[in-house]
Amino acid sequence: MIKLRTENLTRRFLGLVAVNKVSFSMDEGEILGIIGPNGAGKTTFINLISGIIMPTEGLIEYKGNDITYVPAHERARMGIARTYQLIHPMENLTLIENVMVGSIFAKGNGLKEARRKAEALCHELGLRGLDRDTSRLTILEIKKMEIARALANEPEVLFLDEVMAGLNADETKDLIATVQRIAMERHLAVGVVEHVMGVIRELTHRVIVLEAGELIAEGKYEEVSKNPRVIEAYLGGGAA
Amino acid sequence: MNRNVSRIFAAFFGVLAITLPLFAGDYPLQVARNIMLYMALAITWDMLLRSGQISFGIAGLFGLGAYAAILGVIRAGMPAWLSILFAAVFSGVAAFLIGLLILRLRAMYFSIVTLALGEIFRIIVHNLHDFTGGPEGVVIQQGVIFGGNANKLYWLALVGLAVALAASTWFEKSKIHFALTAIRDNEISAKSSGIDIFRWLLLAFVVTSAIQGFLGGIFVQSYGFATPDTVFSADFTLLPLAMALLGGVYSTTGPVFGALLLGLVSEWLKLKIPYGHLVVYGIIIIIVILFMPQGLKQLVRRDAGKTEGRNA
Repeated sequence: MIKLRTENLTRRFLGLVAVNKVSFSMDEGEILGIIGPNGAGKTTFINLISGIIMPTEGLIEYKGNDITYVPAHERARMGIARTYQLIHPMENLTLIENVMVGSIFAKGNGLKEARRKAEALCHELGLRGLDRDTSRLTILEIKKMEIARALANEPEVLFLDEVMAGLNADETKDLIATVQRIAMERHLAVGVVEHVMGVIRELTHRVIVLEAGELIAEGKYEEVSKNPRVIEAYLGGGAA
Repeated sequence: MNRNVSRIFAAFFGVLAITLPLFAGDYPLQVARNIMLYMALAITWDMLLRSGQISFGIAGLFGLGAYAAILGVIRAGMPAWLSILFAAVFSGVAAFLIGLLILRLRAMYFSIVTLALGEIFRIIVHNLHDFTGGPEGVVIQQGVIFGGNANKLYWLALVGLAVALAASTWFEKSKIHFALTAIRDNEISAKSSGIDIFRWLLLAFVVTSAIQGFLGGIFVQSYGFATPDTVFSADFTLLPLAMALLGGVYSTTGPVFGALLLGLVSEWLKLKIPYGHLVVYGIIIIIVILFMPQGLKQLVRRDAGKTEGRNA
Protein backbone atom coordinates (compact mmCIF):
# COMPACT_ATOMS: atom_id res chain seq x y z
CA MET A 1 0.00 0.00 0.00
CA ILE A 2 1.36 3.39 -0.96
CA LYS A 3 1.87 5.62 2.08
CA LEU A 4 3.49 8.61 0.50
CA ARG A 5 4.07 9.83 -2.99
CA THR A 6 5.17 12.95 -4.78
CA GLU A 7 4.51 14.12 -8.29
CA ASN A 8 6.82 16.53 -10.09
CA LEU A 9 7.90 17.96 -6.76
CA THR A 10 9.98 21.07 -7.40
CA ARG A 11 11.65 23.66 -5.25
CA ARG A 12 13.52 26.62 -6.64
CA PHE A 13 15.68 28.97 -4.58
CA LEU A 14 15.98 32.04 -6.81
CA GLY A 15 17.89 30.65 -9.81
CA LEU A 16 18.82 27.33 -8.26
CA VAL A 17 16.53 24.36 -8.72
CA ALA A 18 17.25 22.35 -5.57
CA VAL A 19 14.62 19.70 -6.25
CA ASN A 20 13.47 19.27 -9.83
CA LYS A 21 10.29 17.39 -10.80
CA VAL A 22 10.82 14.46 -8.47
CA SER A 23 8.10 11.81 -8.53
CA PHE A 24 8.41 8.87 -6.18
CA SER A 25 6.42 6.74 -3.80
CA MET A 26 6.96 4.79 -0.61
CA ASP A 27 5.11 1.70 0.53
CA GLU A 28 4.17 0.61 3.99
CA GLY A 29 6.98 -1.45 5.53
CA GLU A 30 9.50 -0.31 2.96
CA ILE A 31 12.95 1.04 3.76
CA LEU A 32 13.95 3.36 0.97
CA GLY A 33 17.45 4.75 0.49
CA ILE A 34 17.81 8.29 -0.79
CA ILE A 35 21.31 8.79 -2.13
CA GLY A 36 23.21 11.21 -4.30
CA PRO A 37 26.32 13.36 -4.22
CA ASN A 38 26.64 16.39 -1.96
CA GLY A 39 24.26 19.14 -2.97
CA ALA A 40 22.00 16.75 -4.87
CA GLY A 41 18.95 18.00 -2.98
CA LYS A 42 18.36 15.08 -0.60
CA THR A 43 17.86 17.16 2.50
CA THR A 44 15.75 19.72 0.62
CA PHE A 45 13.61 16.83 -0.59
CA ILE A 46 13.02 15.67 2.99
CA ASN A 47 12.40 19.24 4.08
CA LEU A 48 9.68 19.48 1.43
CA ILE A 49 8.05 16.25 2.50
CA SER A 50 8.12 17.14 6.21
CA GLY A 51 6.84 20.64 5.45
CA ILE A 52 9.84 22.57 6.79
CA ILE A 53 9.89 24.33 3.42
CA MET A 54 7.11 24.57 0.86
CA PRO A 55 7.44 23.44 -2.75
CA THR A 56 7.41 25.76 -5.73
CA GLU A 57 5.47 23.23 -7.78
CA GLY A 58 4.22 19.68 -7.62
CA LEU A 59 2.18 17.47 -5.35
CA ILE A 60 2.74 15.56 -2.11
CA GLU A 61 0.20 12.92 -1.19
CA TYR A 62 0.08 11.10 2.13
CA LYS A 63 -2.30 8.15 2.48
CA GLY A 64 -4.24 9.48 -0.51
CA ASN A 65 -4.60 13.03 0.85
CA ASP A 66 -3.03 16.07 -0.74
CA ILE A 67 -0.71 17.56 1.88
CA THR A 68 1.39 19.74 -0.44
CA TYR A 69 0.80 22.91 1.54
CA VAL A 70 -0.08 21.50 4.99
CA PRO A 71 2.12 23.10 7.70
CA ALA A 72 4.92 21.05 9.23
CA HIS A 73 3.38 20.64 12.69
CA GLU A 74 0.20 19.21 11.19
CA ARG A 75 2.17 16.76 9.07
CA ALA A 76 3.90 15.65 12.27
CA ARG A 77 0.48 14.96 13.78
CA MET A 78 -0.67 13.10 10.69
CA GLY A 79 2.24 10.70 11.07
CA ILE A 80 5.22 12.01 9.14
CA ALA A 81 8.31 12.18 11.33
CA ARG A 82 11.96 12.85 10.69
CA THR A 83 15.37 13.37 12.20
CA TYR A 84 17.83 16.07 11.22
CA GLN A 85 21.24 15.81 9.65
CA LEU A 86 22.47 18.62 11.87
CA ILE A 87 21.34 17.38 15.24
CA HIS A 88 19.22 19.82 17.19
CA PRO A 89 18.59 18.54 20.68
CA MET A 90 16.48 20.86 22.78
CA GLU A 91 19.24 21.65 25.20
CA ASN A 92 17.03 23.06 27.93
CA LEU A 93 15.05 19.85 28.11
CA THR A 94 16.44 16.58 29.47
CA LEU A 95 16.78 13.43 27.40
CA ILE A 96 13.38 12.09 28.45
CA GLU A 97 11.71 15.47 28.04
CA ASN A 98 13.05 15.75 24.49
CA VAL A 99 11.36 12.47 23.67
CA MET A 100 8.14 13.46 25.45
CA VAL A 101 7.61 16.51 23.23
CA GLY A 102 6.40 14.56 20.21
CA SER A 103 4.06 12.50 22.33
CA ILE A 104 2.56 15.60 23.94
CA PHE A 105 2.08 17.71 20.84
CA ALA A 106 1.85 15.30 17.93
CA LYS A 107 -0.33 12.78 19.79
CA GLY A 108 -1.98 15.04 22.36
CA ASN A 109 -0.99 12.90 25.34
CA GLY A 110 -0.98 14.27 28.88
CA LEU A 111 2.36 14.71 30.62
CA LYS A 112 2.17 11.48 32.61
CA GLU A 113 1.14 9.39 29.65
CA ALA A 114 3.80 11.08 27.50
CA ARG A 115 6.49 10.30 30.07
CA ARG A 116 5.42 6.69 30.29
CA LYS A 117 5.50 6.30 26.52
CA ALA A 118 8.81 8.16 26.22
CA GLU A 119 10.34 5.87 28.85
CA ALA A 120 9.20 2.84 26.92
CA LEU A 121 10.67 4.23 23.71
CA CYS A 122 14.00 5.08 25.32
CA HIS A 123 14.09 1.62 26.85
CA GLU A 124 13.40 0.07 23.48
CA LEU A 125 16.29 2.02 21.94
CA GLY A 126 18.62 1.16 24.81
CA LEU A 127 18.84 4.67 26.22
CA ARG A 128 19.59 5.05 29.94
CA GLY A 129 20.04 7.92 32.35
CA LEU A 130 16.91 9.56 31.06
CA ASP A 131 17.07 12.63 33.27
CA ARG A 132 20.43 13.75 31.93
CA ASP A 133 20.92 17.04 30.13
CA THR A 134 21.47 16.55 26.42
CA SER A 135 24.91 18.15 26.75
CA ARG A 136 26.06 15.02 28.56
CA LEU A 137 25.03 12.52 25.90
CA THR A 138 27.35 10.68 23.52
CA ILE A 139 26.85 11.02 19.76
CA LEU A 140 25.21 7.60 19.61
CA GLU A 141 22.87 8.53 22.44
CA ILE A 142 21.92 11.78 20.72
CA LYS A 143 21.24 9.96 17.47
CA LYS A 144 19.07 7.47 19.32
CA MET A 145 17.32 10.26 21.15
CA GLU A 146 16.56 11.89 17.80
CA ILE A 147 15.04 8.64 16.58
CA ALA A 148 13.10 8.23 19.80
CA ARG A 149 11.83 11.77 19.47
CA ALA A 150 10.64 11.11 15.93
CA LEU A 151 9.01 7.83 17.02
CA ALA A 152 7.19 9.63 19.83
CA ASN A 153 5.00 11.15 17.10
CA GLU A 154 3.86 7.54 16.48
CA PRO A 155 4.56 8.07 12.78
CA GLU A 156 3.70 5.92 9.80
CA VAL A 157 6.41 7.48 7.67
CA LEU A 158 9.86 8.20 9.07
CA PHE A 159 12.80 9.96 7.45
CA LEU A 160 16.30 9.54 8.83
CA ASP A 161 18.69 12.19 7.56
CA GLU A 162 22.23 10.84 8.00
CA VAL A 163 21.70 9.30 11.41
CA MET A 164 24.75 7.10 10.98
CA ALA A 165 27.15 9.97 10.32
CA GLY A 166 29.86 10.24 12.95
CA LEU A 167 29.33 6.76 14.39
CA ASN A 168 32.01 4.04 14.50
CA ALA A 169 31.56 0.62 12.91
CA ASP A 170 30.04 -1.08 15.96
CA GLU A 171 27.68 1.76 16.67
CA THR A 172 26.60 1.81 13.02
CA LYS A 173 25.89 -1.90 13.14
CA ASP A 174 23.88 -1.45 16.32
CA LEU A 175 21.84 1.37 14.83
CA ILE A 176 21.16 -0.46 11.55
CA ALA A 177 19.71 -3.38 13.50
CA THR A 178 17.66 -0.98 15.61
CA VAL A 179 16.21 0.82 12.60
CA GLN A 180 15.34 -2.47 10.92
CA ARG A 181 13.60 -3.78 13.99
CA ILE A 182 11.66 -0.57 14.54
CA ALA A 183 10.55 -0.40 10.93
CA MET A 184 9.43 -4.00 10.92
CA GLU A 185 7.55 -3.93 14.21
CA ARG A 186 5.72 -0.74 13.36
CA HIS A 187 5.21 -1.40 9.63
CA LEU A 188 6.85 1.95 8.99
CA ALA A 189 7.79 3.38 5.66
CA VAL A 190 11.32 4.62 6.26
CA GLY A 191 13.33 6.99 4.07
CA VAL A 192 17.06 6.90 4.76
CA VAL A 193 19.53 9.50 3.56
CA GLU A 194 23.05 8.17 3.99
CA HIS A 195 26.48 8.68 2.49
CA VAL A 196 27.92 5.39 3.68
CA MET A 197 27.00 2.95 0.93
CA GLY A 198 27.51 -0.06 3.19
CA VAL A 199 24.64 1.20 5.32
CA ILE A 200 22.41 1.71 2.29
CA ARG A 201 23.20 -1.78 1.02
CA GLU A 202 22.40 -3.45 4.31
CA LEU A 203 19.45 -1.40 5.36
CA THR A 204 17.36 -0.54 2.34
CA HIS A 205 15.00 -2.49 0.11
CA ARG A 206 15.10 0.06 -2.67
CA VAL A 207 17.07 3.17 -3.55
CA ILE A 208 16.40 6.41 -5.36
CA VAL A 209 19.27 8.52 -6.63
CA LEU A 210 19.16 12.29 -6.84
CA GLU A 211 21.60 14.40 -8.76
CA ALA A 212 21.36 18.19 -9.09
CA GLY A 213 17.79 17.95 -7.82
CA GLU A 214 16.65 15.36 -10.34
CA LEU A 215 15.78 11.73 -9.79
CA ILE A 216 18.20 9.92 -12.09
CA ALA A 217 17.82 6.30 -11.03
CA GLU A 218 15.64 4.01 -8.96
CA GLY A 219 15.78 0.34 -8.01
CA LYS A 220 17.60 -2.14 -5.82
CA TYR A 221 20.97 -0.99 -4.53
CA GLU A 222 22.83 -3.65 -6.54
CA GLU A 223 21.24 -2.47 -9.80
CA VAL A 224 21.51 1.22 -9.11
CA SER A 225 25.15 1.02 -8.10
CA LYS A 226 25.99 -0.37 -11.56
CA ASN A 227 24.00 2.28 -13.40
CA PRO A 228 26.47 4.34 -15.51
CA ARG A 229 24.62 7.59 -14.82
CA VAL A 230 24.87 7.04 -11.09
CA ILE A 231 28.57 6.20 -11.29
CA GLU A 232 29.13 9.32 -13.35
CA ALA A 233 27.18 11.45 -10.87
CA TYR A 234 29.36 10.23 -8.03
CA LEU A 235 32.70 10.39 -9.83
CA GLY A 236 31.88 13.62 -11.65
CA GLY A 237 31.27 13.88 -15.38
CA GLY A 238 34.49 15.77 -16.08
CA ALA A 239 36.73 13.31 -14.31
CA ALA A 240 35.27 10.24 -15.98
CA MET B 1 17.96 19.49 48.56
CA ASN B 2 17.65 22.71 46.60
CA ARG B 3 13.99 22.09 46.18
CA ASN B 4 13.62 21.96 49.95
CA VAL B 5 15.60 25.17 50.35
CA SER B 6 13.36 26.98 47.90
CA ARG B 7 10.30 25.55 49.65
CA ILE B 8 11.46 26.91 52.97
CA PHE B 9 12.13 30.28 51.37
CA ALA B 10 8.75 30.23 49.66
CA ALA B 11 6.97 29.36 52.90
CA PHE B 12 8.87 32.06 54.79
CA PHE B 13 8.07 34.79 52.30
CA GLY B 14 4.52 33.57 51.92
CA VAL B 15 3.92 33.89 55.66
CA LEU B 16 5.74 37.22 55.70
CA ALA B 17 3.64 38.55 52.82
CA ILE B 18 0.40 37.62 54.56
CA THR B 19 1.35 38.83 58.04
CA LEU B 20 3.14 42.02 56.99
CA PRO B 21 0.12 44.32 57.38
CA LEU B 22 -0.24 43.15 61.01
CA PHE B 23 2.96 44.83 62.15
CA ALA B 24 4.22 47.07 59.36
CA GLY B 25 3.39 50.75 59.04
CA ASP B 26 2.30 52.62 55.94
CA TYR B 27 5.77 53.23 54.59
CA PRO B 28 6.96 49.59 54.60
CA LEU B 29 3.61 48.55 53.18
CA GLN B 30 4.03 51.05 50.39
CA VAL B 31 7.53 49.70 49.65
CA ALA B 32 6.22 46.14 49.73
CA ARG B 33 3.42 47.02 47.30
CA ASN B 34 5.91 48.51 44.92
CA ILE B 35 8.18 45.49 45.08
CA MET B 36 5.27 43.12 44.56
CA LEU B 37 4.16 45.08 41.52
CA TYR B 38 7.60 44.94 39.90
CA MET B 39 8.00 41.32 40.94
CA ALA B 40 4.77 40.42 39.17
CA LEU B 41 5.86 42.30 36.06
CA ALA B 42 9.27 40.59 36.15
CA ILE B 43 7.54 37.21 36.33
CA THR B 44 5.34 37.95 33.32
CA TRP B 45 8.33 39.17 31.33
CA ASP B 46 10.15 35.95 32.12
CA MET B 47 7.13 33.85 31.15
CA LEU B 48 7.30 35.12 27.58
CA LEU B 49 11.09 34.95 27.59
CA ARG B 50 10.81 31.19 28.12
CA SER B 51 9.73 31.00 24.48
CA GLY B 52 12.83 32.96 23.47
CA GLN B 53 10.98 36.21 22.78
CA ILE B 54 12.47 39.26 24.47
CA SER B 55 9.74 41.84 24.99
CA PHE B 56 10.36 45.49 25.73
CA GLY B 57 6.64 46.11 25.73
CA ILE B 58 5.78 45.65 29.40
CA ALA B 59 5.20 49.37 29.96
CA GLY B 60 2.98 49.50 26.87
CA LEU B 61 0.57 46.81 27.99
CA PHE B 62 0.77 47.86 31.63
CA GLY B 63 -0.08 51.45 30.70
CA LEU B 64 -2.81 50.33 28.35
CA GLY B 65 -4.43 48.40 31.20
CA ALA B 66 -3.98 51.37 33.52
CA TYR B 67 -5.81 53.67 31.13
CA ALA B 68 -8.48 51.07 30.39
CA ALA B 69 -9.18 50.85 34.12
CA ILE B 70 -9.24 54.54 34.92
CA LEU B 71 -11.27 55.46 31.84
CA GLY B 72 -13.58 52.56 32.61
CA VAL B 73 -14.33 54.22 35.93
CA ILE B 74 -14.45 57.82 34.73
CA ARG B 75 -16.11 57.43 31.31
CA ALA B 76 -18.18 54.29 31.78
CA GLY B 77 -18.90 54.44 35.51
CA MET B 78 -17.49 50.99 36.21
CA PRO B 79 -16.94 49.95 39.82
CA ALA B 80 -13.24 49.84 40.67
CA TRP B 81 -12.98 46.04 40.91
CA LEU B 82 -14.63 45.63 37.52
CA SER B 83 -12.33 48.20 35.95
CA ILE B 84 -9.31 46.13 37.02
CA LEU B 85 -10.72 43.04 35.34
CA PHE B 86 -11.58 45.16 32.33
CA ALA B 87 -7.95 46.30 32.21
CA ALA B 88 -6.81 42.68 32.00
CA VAL B 89 -9.27 41.87 29.22
CA PHE B 90 -8.42 45.05 27.33
CA SER B 91 -4.66 44.42 27.36
CA GLY B 92 -5.25 40.75 26.56
CA VAL B 93 -7.41 41.52 23.55
CA ALA B 94 -4.99 44.21 22.37
CA ALA B 95 -2.13 41.70 22.69
CA PHE B 96 -4.11 39.14 20.72
CA LEU B 97 -4.68 41.53 17.82
CA ILE B 98 -1.12 42.85 17.90
CA GLY B 99 0.25 39.34 18.34
CA LEU B 100 -1.44 38.21 15.14
CA LEU B 101 0.70 40.78 13.37
CA ILE B 102 4.01 40.69 15.22
CA LEU B 103 4.50 37.15 16.47
CA ARG B 104 6.01 36.16 13.14
CA LEU B 105 8.93 38.41 14.02
CA ARG B 106 11.91 37.06 15.90
CA ALA B 107 14.85 38.21 17.97
CA MET B 108 15.57 41.95 17.86
CA TYR B 109 12.83 42.62 15.33
CA PHE B 110 10.24 41.42 17.83
CA SER B 111 11.94 43.31 20.65
CA ILE B 112 12.06 46.59 18.77
CA VAL B 113 8.44 46.38 17.72
CA THR B 114 7.34 45.73 21.30
CA LEU B 115 9.43 48.71 22.41
CA ALA B 116 7.62 50.84 19.84
CA LEU B 117 4.23 49.60 21.08
CA GLY B 118 4.59 51.39 24.40
CA GLU B 119 5.50 54.60 22.62
CA ILE B 120 2.59 54.29 20.21
CA PHE B 121 0.10 53.77 23.05
CA ARG B 122 1.58 56.67 24.97
CA ILE B 123 1.33 59.00 21.99
CA ILE B 124 -2.23 57.93 21.27
CA VAL B 125 -3.23 58.60 24.88
CA HIS B 126 -1.38 61.90 24.73
CA ASN B 127 -3.30 63.06 21.70
CA LEU B 128 -6.82 61.79 22.36
CA HIS B 129 -7.14 64.76 24.66
CA ASP B 130 -10.90 64.84 25.07
CA PHE B 131 -11.20 61.20 25.95
CA THR B 132 -7.99 60.46 27.85
CA GLY B 133 -7.23 63.83 29.38
CA GLY B 134 -4.12 64.23 27.22
CA PRO B 135 -0.73 64.90 28.81
CA GLU B 136 -2.26 66.12 32.08
CA GLY B 137 -3.91 62.77 32.54
CA VAL B 138 -7.04 61.91 34.49
CA VAL B 139 -7.93 61.73 38.15
CA ILE B 140 -10.59 59.69 39.89
CA GLN B 141 -12.49 62.46 41.69
CA GLN B 142 -14.39 60.38 44.16
CA GLY B 143 -14.79 56.77 45.20
CA VAL B 144 -11.09 55.84 45.19
CA ILE B 145 -10.80 52.12 45.78
CA PHE B 146 -10.87 51.14 49.48
CA GLY B 147 -10.81 54.84 50.34
CA GLY B 148 -7.03 54.69 49.99
CA ASN B 149 -6.67 52.34 52.98
CA ALA B 150 -3.01 51.19 52.97
CA ASN B 151 -3.78 47.70 54.31
CA LYS B 152 -6.40 47.01 51.70
CA LEU B 153 -4.26 48.37 48.89
CA TYR B 154 -1.56 46.00 50.08
CA TRP B 155 -3.95 43.06 49.73
CA LEU B 156 -4.87 44.22 46.27
CA ALA B 157 -1.21 44.29 45.22
CA LEU B 158 -0.77 40.85 46.75
CA VAL B 159 -3.63 39.56 44.60
CA GLY B 160 -1.81 40.93 41.53
CA LEU B 161 1.35 39.11 42.53
CA ALA B 162 -0.55 35.91 43.31
CA VAL B 163 -2.08 35.91 39.83
CA ALA B 164 1.37 36.29 38.22
CA LEU B 165 2.80 33.53 40.44
CA ALA B 166 -0.08 31.19 39.67
CA ALA B 167 0.19 31.79 35.93
CA SER B 168 3.94 31.31 35.99
CA THR B 169 3.62 28.06 37.90
CA TRP B 170 0.99 26.90 35.43
CA PHE B 171 3.43 27.67 32.59
CA GLU B 172 6.12 25.67 34.37
CA LYS B 173 4.14 22.60 35.29
CA SER B 174 1.98 22.10 32.22
CA LYS B 175 2.71 21.24 28.64
CA ILE B 176 3.17 24.95 27.99
CA HIS B 177 6.62 24.49 29.53
CA PHE B 178 7.47 21.93 26.85
CA ALA B 179 6.05 24.04 24.05
CA LEU B 180 7.85 27.24 25.01
CA THR B 181 11.17 25.58 25.81
CA ALA B 182 11.11 23.63 22.56
CA ILE B 183 10.36 26.82 20.63
CA ARG B 184 13.19 28.64 22.37
CA ASP B 185 15.68 25.85 21.78
CA ASN B 186 14.83 24.97 18.22
CA GLU B 187 11.81 25.99 16.22
CA ILE B 188 12.39 23.47 13.46
CA SER B 189 12.55 20.52 15.84
CA ALA B 190 9.53 21.93 17.63
CA LYS B 191 7.50 21.94 14.41
CA SER B 192 8.58 18.40 13.62
CA SER B 193 7.22 17.34 16.99
CA GLY B 194 3.82 18.75 16.16
CA ILE B 195 4.08 22.09 17.95
CA ASP B 196 2.03 24.87 16.42
CA ILE B 197 4.57 27.57 17.21
CA PHE B 198 2.44 30.57 16.39
CA ARG B 199 -0.44 29.38 18.57
CA TRP B 200 1.73 28.85 21.66
CA LEU B 201 3.49 32.17 21.23
CA LEU B 202 0.14 33.87 20.90
CA LEU B 203 -1.09 32.17 24.08
CA ALA B 204 2.01 33.24 26.01
CA PHE B 205 1.85 36.79 24.69
CA VAL B 206 -1.87 37.19 25.45
CA VAL B 207 -1.64 35.70 28.96
CA THR B 208 1.39 37.75 29.99
CA SER B 209 -0.06 40.93 28.47
CA ALA B 210 -3.40 40.41 30.20
CA ILE B 211 -1.62 40.09 33.54
CA GLN B 212 0.42 43.21 32.78
CA GLY B 213 -2.84 45.03 32.02
CA PHE B 214 -4.34 43.67 35.24
CA LEU B 215 -1.37 45.03 37.20
CA GLY B 216 -1.77 48.36 35.40
CA GLY B 217 -5.37 48.40 36.56
CA ILE B 218 -4.35 47.69 40.15
CA PHE B 219 -1.65 50.37 39.97
CA VAL B 220 -3.94 53.06 38.65
CA GLN B 221 -6.72 52.24 41.12
CA SER B 222 -4.24 52.38 43.97
CA TYR B 223 -3.11 55.88 43.09
CA GLY B 224 -6.33 57.20 41.63
CA PHE B 225 -4.76 59.00 38.70
CA ALA B 226 -2.95 58.35 35.44
CA THR B 227 -0.83 60.43 33.12
CA PRO B 228 0.81 59.08 29.97
CA ASP B 229 4.26 59.69 31.37
CA THR B 230 3.67 57.86 34.64
CA VAL B 231 1.86 54.73 33.46
CA PHE B 232 3.87 54.28 30.25
CA SER B 233 7.13 55.02 32.06
CA ALA B 234 10.14 53.07 30.78
CA ASP B 235 10.71 52.00 34.40
CA PHE B 236 7.90 49.49 34.03
CA THR B 237 9.85 47.83 31.23
CA LEU B 238 13.41 48.20 32.47
CA LEU B 239 13.16 47.44 36.18
CA PRO B 240 11.29 44.13 35.82
CA LEU B 241 13.75 43.11 33.13
CA ALA B 242 16.71 43.95 35.36
CA MET B 243 15.13 42.07 38.28
CA ALA B 244 14.56 38.95 36.24
CA LEU B 245 18.10 39.05 34.88
CA LEU B 246 19.50 39.56 38.35
CA GLY B 247 17.59 36.66 39.86
CA GLY B 248 18.02 34.37 36.88
CA VAL B 249 15.68 33.84 33.97
CA TYR B 250 13.50 30.93 32.77
CA SER B 251 11.88 30.22 36.12
CA THR B 252 9.53 31.70 38.68
CA THR B 253 12.05 31.79 41.49
CA GLY B 254 14.63 33.89 39.62
CA PRO B 255 12.45 36.96 39.02
CA VAL B 256 11.00 36.66 42.54
CA PHE B 257 14.38 36.82 44.24
CA GLY B 258 15.73 39.37 41.78
CA ALA B 259 12.79 41.66 42.47
CA LEU B 260 13.06 41.20 46.22
CA LEU B 261 16.74 42.03 46.27
CA LEU B 262 16.78 44.84 43.75
CA GLY B 263 13.58 46.30 45.16
CA LEU B 264 14.97 46.48 48.68
CA VAL B 265 18.40 47.67 47.59
CA SER B 266 16.97 50.41 45.40
CA GLU B 267 14.68 51.58 48.19
CA TRP B 268 17.64 51.79 50.53
CA LEU B 269 19.76 53.55 47.88
CA LYS B 270 16.99 56.06 47.30
CA LEU B 271 17.37 57.13 50.92
CA LYS B 272 21.18 57.11 50.90
CA ILE B 273 21.85 58.71 47.53
CA PRO B 274 18.72 60.49 46.31
CA TYR B 275 18.65 60.68 42.51
CA GLY B 276 21.94 58.80 42.37
CA HIS B 277 20.41 55.46 43.16
CA LEU B 278 19.74 54.58 39.53
CA VAL B 279 23.47 54.76 38.76
CA VAL B 280 24.25 52.22 41.47
CA TYR B 281 21.33 50.18 40.25
CA GLY B 282 22.76 50.16 36.74
CA ILE B 283 26.18 49.15 37.99
CA ILE B 284 24.71 46.20 39.89
CA ILE B 285 22.98 45.00 36.76
CA ILE B 286 26.11 45.30 34.61
CA ILE B 287 28.16 43.38 37.16
CA VAL B 288 25.57 40.64 37.37
CA ILE B 289 25.29 40.27 33.62
CA LEU B 290 29.04 40.18 33.17
CA PHE B 291 29.92 37.81 35.98
CA MET B 292 26.75 35.85 36.63
CA PRO B 293 24.99 35.44 33.30
CA GLN B 294 22.64 32.91 34.91
CA GLY B 295 21.72 35.39 37.62
CA LEU B 296 21.78 34.76 41.35
CA LYS B 297 20.23 31.37 40.76
CA GLN B 298 23.71 30.33 39.67
CA LEU B 299 24.86 30.61 43.27
CA VAL B 300 22.14 28.29 44.47
CA ARG B 301 22.33 25.76 41.70
CA ARG B 302 25.88 24.56 41.18
CA ASP B 303 25.40 22.66 37.95
CA ALA B 304 23.47 25.51 36.36
CA GLY B 305 26.65 26.68 34.68
CA LYS B 306 26.44 23.94 32.08
CA THR B 307 23.04 24.48 30.65
CA GLU B 308 20.81 27.43 31.17
CA GLY B 309 18.95 27.08 34.40
CA ARG B 310 15.94 24.94 34.38
CA ASN B 311 13.75 25.48 37.34
CA ALA B 312 15.71 24.75 40.49
